[in-house]
Amino acid sequence: MATAAAPATPTLRGVQPLRAGEGHSFFWRRLHSLSGIVPIGAFLIEHIVSNFEAVNGPLAYAQQVKFLNSLPLVRVLEWCFIFIPLAFHALYGVWIAFRGRATVNVYPWAGNWGYLTQRITGIIALLYIVQHLWRQRFSGVNLPEHPGAAFAKVQHELHNPWMLAIYVIAMIATCWHFAYGIWLFAAKWGITPGDKARQRFGYVCAAGGTALCVLGLVGMYAFINPKYANAPEDVMPTQPPAIVQPVQP
Amino acid sequence: MAQAATSTRTIKVEIKRQSTPDGKATTEAFEIPYRPNMNITSLLGEIALNPTTVTGAATTPITYDSNCLEEICGSCAMLINGKAMMACSALVDKLEQPIRLAPLSKFPVVRDLAVDRSVLFENLKAVKAWVPIDGTYDLGPAPRQFPQIQEQRYPLSNCISCTICMEVCPQFNDVTGFVGAATIAQARLFNMDPAGSVLKEDRLRALAGDGGIQECGFAQNCVQACPKGLPLTEAISDMGRDVFVQQVKDLFTR
Ligand code: HEM
Ligand code: SF4
Ligand code: FES
Repeated sequence: MATAAAPATPTLRGVQPLRAGEGHSFFWRRLHSLSGIVPIGAFLIEHIVSNFEAVNGPLAYAQQVKFLNSLPLVRVLEWCFIFIPLAFHALYGVWIAFRGRATVNVYPWAGNWGYLTQRITGIIALLYIVQHLWRQRFSGVNLPEHPGAAFAKVQHELHNPWMLAIYVIAMIATCWHFAYGIWLFAAKWGITPGDKARQRFGYVCAAGGTALCVLGLVGMYAFINPKYANAPEDVMPTQPPAIVQPVQP
Repeated sequence: MAQAATSTRTIKVEIKRQSTPDGKATTEAFEIPYRPNMNITSLLGEIALNPTTVTGAATTPITYDSNCLEEICGSCAMLINGKAMMACSALVDKLEQPIRLAPLSKFPVVRDLAVDRSVLFENLKAVKAWVPIDGTYDLGPAPRQFPQIQEQRYPLSNCISCTICMEVCPQFNDVTGFVGAATIAQARLFNMDPAGSVLKEDRLRALAGDGGIQECGFAQNCVQACPKGLPLTEAISDMGRDVFVQQVKDLFTR
C-alpha cells in the first residue's frame, strides 16, 4: 500500500472533526452506561424489593433493614457498589446532559423526546437522591444501629403530603430512567441492532419498568396505610453494636 | 375567473441572508407568482431571475449550493421552515407559507444559504472510508460478496453526504465534536466490504477517539431525517458493538 503523506487538514470553523484514536472518553462513556445497569440499576431493584417488605408491617420491615445491615462488610459494599458508582453516574450524567442540545421544539419525534426525558429524569433522580440520602440515611435516627425505627422514620416523612408527592414523582422518574436506560444500553452496545429487536425490547423494558414502579408505589403505600398508622418509634429492642455492625477496634 | 385567481396567487418566502462568513445575518422577504409543482431550488431560481424583495428593493440573487436537482448530490441541504431538508426535493405546494429558508445551523455559513460542510469530509478521512486500492496495476477481479452482505451494504451506500443527520442530532455540536451518523454508517459500509475490511481495525479505533461513537445519545433523529432512508441507528448499534470488542482486544493484545 502506498503511504503518501496525507494532505494537511485545513483548520475548520464550527464543529471539529473526529479526534481519531485520541483520548479516553470512549472508556468513561461506556463505564457510565454500564454503571447505570450494574451496580446502580441492580441496587434500585434491590431497594424497591426490600422496601416492598413494608406491606408486611413495621416489624417485617425492621427485620429486612436489619438483615441488609448485617451483610458482611456492609459499609464497604455500600460505598463501593452504591455511593461511589452512583456519584460517578450522576455527576458524569449531568455533564453529558449539559453537553447536548435538545431539539424537540423543531423535531418532536419519539426518540428525541426519549433523549430529553432521559436527561430530565436523571436530574430529578439526582435531586431526589441527595435529599433522600441526607434525610433518611445521614441525619435523624441512625437506621443501621436502630433498624426498628426504620418504619416510623419513613412514615413521618411520608406524612407530609409534599414529601409524598416528591416520593411518587421520583419513583416514576427513576423507574422511567432505568427502564429506558436498559433499552438505551442494549441499543448502544449492539445487543439490539435491528429495528424489530429494538421495538420488541422496548416492550420488555416498558413492562419491566412499569412492574418495578408499581412495586415501588405499593411498597410506599404501606407507610401511609391506615392499618399501620402511628407505628411505634422503635419496634426492636436496642441492638448491641456488634450485632448490626462490625465492632470498631 | 379561475385564470385570474391563479395568476394573482403568490408564494411568500423569507430568506435569512448573510453576505460574508462573518457578516451580519438579515432576513429578506420575497413574493413570487404562483406556479404549481415548484420545489425550493426552482423557487430560488425564480428569485435569481428577478432579485427584488417584497418592498420592491433590488437585491442580489440568493447564494445556495445545488447541483443534481434530484436529491442525489447532497449539496442543497438547508433549513426549510426550521427543519433540515433537501431544497430540491422539498415541494412548495406542501409547505406552509411564508416559507422560511435559512442555512443549516451547525455549519459555518459561507454566504446566504451556502454552508461549509468540510467537517464531514474530514470525518470520512479520519475513518478511512474507502477501499485502499491505488489503481496503478491490475489487481484482477474484486473479491466476491455474498448477496446477504450486498443487501446490507446497499442501503448504506446510498448516503449523499448531505449532513442532515448531523444537523438534526442533539449531540452534534461544538462542545462534543461528535462525528455524526453518516461517518459511522460509512465506516460500517467499508468494514463490510471484503476488500475494504482490511482497514477495519483502523476504522474501529478511530471511532473510539474523542468525539467518536460513544457520544451518540440515541435520540434517533438521524434516521428520521435522513432523506435517503439509511439504517443509521442500526449501523450505530452494530458499530458500537464492534468498536467495543476492538477496544477490549486492544487492551489485551496491544
Ligand atoms: C437512580 C439511579 C440511576 C439509574 C438506575 C440509572 C440508570 C441509567 C442507565 C441504565 C442508563 C443507560 C446507559 C446508557 O445510556 O448507555 C442511564 C443513562 C443516563 N443517565 Fe442514569 N441512572 C441513574 C441516575 C442518574 C442520575 C442521578 C443522572 C444525573 C443527571 C443520570 C443521568 C443519565 C444520563 C444523562 C444518561 C444518558 C447517557 C447517554 O445517553 O449517553 N442518571 N442511566
Ligand atoms: S446518512 Fe443520510 S442524512 Fe446523513 S449525510 Fe448521508 S444521506 Fe445525508
Ligand atoms: S441539488 Fe443535489 S441533492 Fe438537492
